[in-house]
Amino acid sequence: MTHATATMTAPSAVPTAKTRYKSPTVRGRLPVLILFLPPALLLFTLFVILPMGEAAWYSLYRWNGYGSPEHFIGLRNFQVLFNNAAFSTALINNGLIILASLLLQIPLAIWLATMLAHKIKGAVTFRLIFFLPYVLADVAAGLIWRFVYDGDYGLFAAIAGFFGVATPYVLADKNLAIYAVLAVIIWKYFGFHMMLFIAGLQAVDKNVLEAAEIDGARGWQKFRYVTLPLLGSTVRISVFFAIIGSLQLFDLIMPLTGGGPLNATQTMVTFLYTYGVMRMQVGLGSAVGVVLFVICVTLAFGYKRIFMRHD
Amino acid sequence: MTDTSTSIRMSAGTRIYLYVSLSLVAALVLVPLVATALGGFKSLGELRVNPFGLPREWHWSNYLDILFGDRYWRQMVNSLFIAVMTVFLTVVASAMAAFTLAHVKFFGANQLLNYFLIGLMFPAATAILPLFIRIRDLGLLDTYWGVILPQVAFGLGMSILLFRNYFRNLPEELFQAAFVDGCGYIRFFWHISLPLSRPIIATVSIISFVNSWNSYIVPLIMLNSETKYPWPLGIMVYRGEFGTQWQLVLAFITLTILPTIIVFFLAQKHIIAGLTAGAVKG
Amino acid sequence: MASVELNDIRKNYGTLEVIHGVSLTIEDGEFIALVGPSGCGKSTLLRMIAGLEEITDGEVMIAGKVVNPLTPRERNIAMVFQSYALYPHMTVAENMGFNLKLSGIAKPEIERRVSEAARMLALTDLLDRKPSQLSGGQRQRVAMGRAIVRDPAVFLFDEPLSNLDAKLRVQMRTEIKSLHQKVGTTSIYVTHDQIEAMTLADRIVVLNQGNIEQVGTPLELYRQPANLFVAGFIGSPAMNILDGIVDADNGQPAVRLGDGSAIRIAPQRKVRPGQPVKIGLRPEHFAPTGAGSIVSGRTLLVEPTGAQTHVLFEFAGSHVTAVVDGDHPARHGAHFEAVADGEKVYVFDGSTGVAL
Repeated sequence: MTHATATMTAPSAVPTAKTRYKSPTVRGRLPVLILFLPPALLLFTLFVILPMGEAAWYSLYRWNGYGSPEHFIGLRNFQVLFNNAAFSTALINNGLIILASLLLQIPLAIWLATMLAHKIKGAVTFRLIFFLPYVLADVAAGLIWRFVYDGDYGLFAAIAGFFGVATPYVLADKNLAIYAVLAVIIWKYFGFHMMLFIAGLQAVDKNVLEAAEIDGARGWQKFRYVTLPLLGSTVRISVFFAIIGSLQLFDLIMPLTGGGPLNATQTMVTFLYTYGVMRMQVGLGSAVGVVLFVICVTLAFGYKRIFMRHD
Repeated sequence: MTDTSTSIRMSAGTRIYLYVSLSLVAALVLVPLVATALGGFKSLGELRVNPFGLPREWHWSNYLDILFGDRYWRQMVNSLFIAVMTVFLTVVASAMAAFTLAHVKFFGANQLLNYFLIGLMFPAATAILPLFIRIRDLGLLDTYWGVILPQVAFGLGMSILLFRNYFRNLPEELFQAAFVDGCGYIRFFWHISLPLSRPIIATVSIISFVNSWNSYIVPLIMLNSETKYPWPLGIMVYRGEFGTQWQLVLAFITLTILPTIIVFFLAQKHIIAGLTAGAVKG
Repeated sequence: MASVELNDIRKNYGTLEVIHGVSLTIEDGEFIALVGPSGCGKSTLLRMIAGLEEITDGEVMIAGKVVNPLTPRERNIAMVFQSYALYPHMTVAENMGFNLKLSGIAKPEIERRVSEAARMLALTDLLDRKPSQLSGGQRQRVAMGRAIVRDPAVFLFDEPLSNLDAKLRVQMRTEIKSLHQKVGTTSIYVTHDQIEAMTLADRIVVLNQGNIEQVGTPLELYRQPANLFVAGFIGSPAMNILDGIVDADNGQPAVRLGDGSAIRIAPQRKVRPGQPVKIGLRPEHFAPTGAGSIVSGRTLLVEPTGAQTHVLFEFAGSHVTAVVDGDHPARHGAHFEAVADGEKVYVFDGSTGVAL
C-alpha cells in the first residue's frame, strides 16, 4: 500500500548497501553521563553502600578498629548480641515506640487534623504550634524535657509540690523512664503526622462527604465510614514513617537518659553507640548495624508489598 | 468530621469543644518551651520554687554572658557552614544525577535509580562504625568534610527521588522543543530544567538543611575538637559542664533553638511543605 | 526551503514494527497533511522527520541530503507542538529568540527577527509577557512565531490546534494557511481532524496502522478514495457502507443488498456479477428527487444543524445517514425517502476493500 500512488518514489530508491546511521538522540548522551552521574554515584557508593557492606564483613570479626580485621569469629557477635539483656531491652523498646506511635500518636494526629479541617479562626496558628516540636532538633527537645522531668528544678517537681506528693524522678526510675521517653517522642513527632493527615484530608473530595450527608450519615458515622477509609493511604504512609523513625531513634534518647538507667531506655542505635562506638568494638557494633539493616529492609519491602501495593 | 461546608454554621457546643481541645494540646506543646525560655532568666534558687511563672527578677546576665562569649557564635557558625555545604553539594549532586535518570535513556538507568533508593531504607546509624573507619582512613576525621560528605551521601536517596519525579513531570514536549531549538542535554538542564525547578530545589534544600542543622550522631562520631562542634554537640558539652546550673543550660538551649524558631515562623509555609513533601512525594 | 523525501522508512519498538516502510516525496513549498486515526503512526513519522525519534530503517532526505544522523537543529527544521511547549520561565520574546541565542546570533539581529515575526503574528504587544499570561490562541501564535524566526527548511506541526476550542480552531486554521501563503515554507502537518487536513493541505497523506493508504489532493481523496478506509475516513458525516452482491437491475449494473433491494451503480465500475462488494453512499449525495435508486426506510433520528438536517434511517437492515436540506419535513418514526445517483455510488471489493 505504501507505493500506491504515482508520487511515491520507486522502490529502487532504497539504498542497496544499507547504511546504519547513528541516531541523533544517542549522540550527546555520553558527555552528560560522564559529567552528571559520577559525583552522586561516587559519594553514595563510598559513604553509604560500601560502609553497609563493610558492616556485614566486620560483624564476623572481633576488631578494635586498628590495623585490619583479622580475628575471625564467625557469627559469635550475633550470638553475643542476642544473649545480651540490654540488646533485648533495646529491641523491646523499639517495639514499644512503634506501638505507642500506632495506638497514641497517629490517632492523636488524626483527631487534631480533623479538628483543624474545620474552618475556625486560628486554625493556621494551631497548626504551626503543633508542627513546631518537629522542626526542633531532637537534642534540644531531649534537653528541654530533661528539664521538665527534673526532680529538683523541673516542671514535674513543681507539679508534684503543688499536689503535695513526693517528687518523682521519672528519668531515674528504671520502670518509668521508658514511658517518659515515649511521651517525649509523641510530643516531638505528632505534628508531622498531623500535617500528613491534613494534606490527606484536603485531597478528600468534598462532594463525597456531602453525598454521605445526604445519605444520612452523622458526624461520627461520616468519619468512620467515609473519611477514614479515604485516608487509608495516608495512614499507611504515616505508620511507615513512625516505624522507620522509631528504628533510628538516637538523638532524643541521648540527652534524656543516654539509654539508662540500667539500660532501661536503650534503643538499637543507642545500644550500638554505647557498646560498639564507645568501646570501639567494631565487630559487635557492626553486627547491630546488620540486624538494624535487615529489620529496616524487611519492613520496607514487606510493608510496601503488603500495605502499599495500591498507592 | 470534616464538614467544612461554609454555609452551615457550627453550633456553639462544637465551637467550644474544638477550642478547648486544641488549646489544651497547644499548651502541652508550648509550656515546656516557654518554661525553658523563662527559666533562662531566673536564678537557680527561683527555678527550684517557681519553674512555671514569670521570673521575679529578670537575670539578663544568663543570656548576655552567652551572647558575648564566643562559644555560642562559634557553634552557630560551625553548624551554618556544615549545613550550607551539605545543602549545596546535595542539590548539585542529586539534581545532576536525577536529571540523567529522568531524561537520558541509557542501559541500566532503572537499576541505578533503585541503587540510589537503597539509601532511603536505612539510617546512617546502621553503618556508622565502618563510616567512621572510612573517614578516618581518608584522613577526614575531625574535619568539617568528615561530617559533610556522609550527610550528603545519606541525603542523596531522597533528593534524587524528589528531583527525578519532578523532572519527569516536566512536559516531554518541552524537552523536544528545546532539542529542536538546538539544546543538548547539558544546555537543556541549564536553560530549562533548572530554572523550572525552583520549587523542588527549595524542597530539597529545606530537607537537607534541617537534617544537617539538627544532625547529631554523624558529627558526634566524626569530630573531636570542640572548636569544630556544631550546636547540637556543643549544647551537650555545655550541659555536661554546667549540669547543675539549669538556668544557664536553659538560656543556652533557648538561644540555640531561637534561630530555628524564627526561621520557622518566617518561612513556615515553605518549611512545612518541604518537610512533608519528602513523605508524600517520596 | 527544501523538499523532503522519505525512503522506505520503518520504525520498530523491540520486535513490534509500527511504521512499515513508508515512502513519500514532498515538493519544495508544499503543505502536506498527515491524517489518520490515533495510533496510525502519523506522529511517530513526523517525529522521525524531526529527528526526535530514532529511524529504525530507511532514509529521510531534506533538500536532497540524508539527515538520519543529524539533530533537529542540524536538519534545520522547526516544530509546533500540540501543547505548544513554550518555556514557562521565558517571556514571549525570549521564547521566540531562544534558538537564535543558542546558535550565537548577535542580540540586535535576534531582536530584529523576533520583532519581525511578532509583527507578522500580531504579537508585538505581548513580547514581554510570560506564557502563563497568554490565552490559548496567543500561545499558539507564539509557538508558530518561535518556528518562523529561524527561517527553517521545513515546518513541522504536530496537531497544533487540538488544544483550542472549536471557534478558535477555525480562526487559527485560517492564520496558519495565510502564514504558509506568506512565507511559503515546506510544511508537514499532523492532524486527526480530516476537515483541518482538507482545508489546509495541498496534498493529504492518509495513514493507517503504519501504512500509507492514499496520497492525493483533498478533492482527489474525497472523490476517488482508493479504498474503504480512506472512503470512511474522509468526509463528514462518514460515508454509509452497505454489503451486497453485484447483480443486474433491469439490465443496468446494480448491487443487490441483503433485503433484496437493488442500488444501481455506474457502468464503468470494474465488477463482475455475483461478486461480493461493499457500496458507499455519501450522506450528502442523497437527493430528494431525480435519477437513481430509491432508498427509503423508517426515520430513527433527526438532527437539525441549521442549514442542513442529518437524518438517520433504517435501510436494508442497516442504519443510514442522509444530509438533507434544513427545510426537509423529516420527523422521528416517519417514512424517509431519497434517491441515490448511481454515478455517485462507490463500490469496493468485499474482501480487500479496494475501490473498483
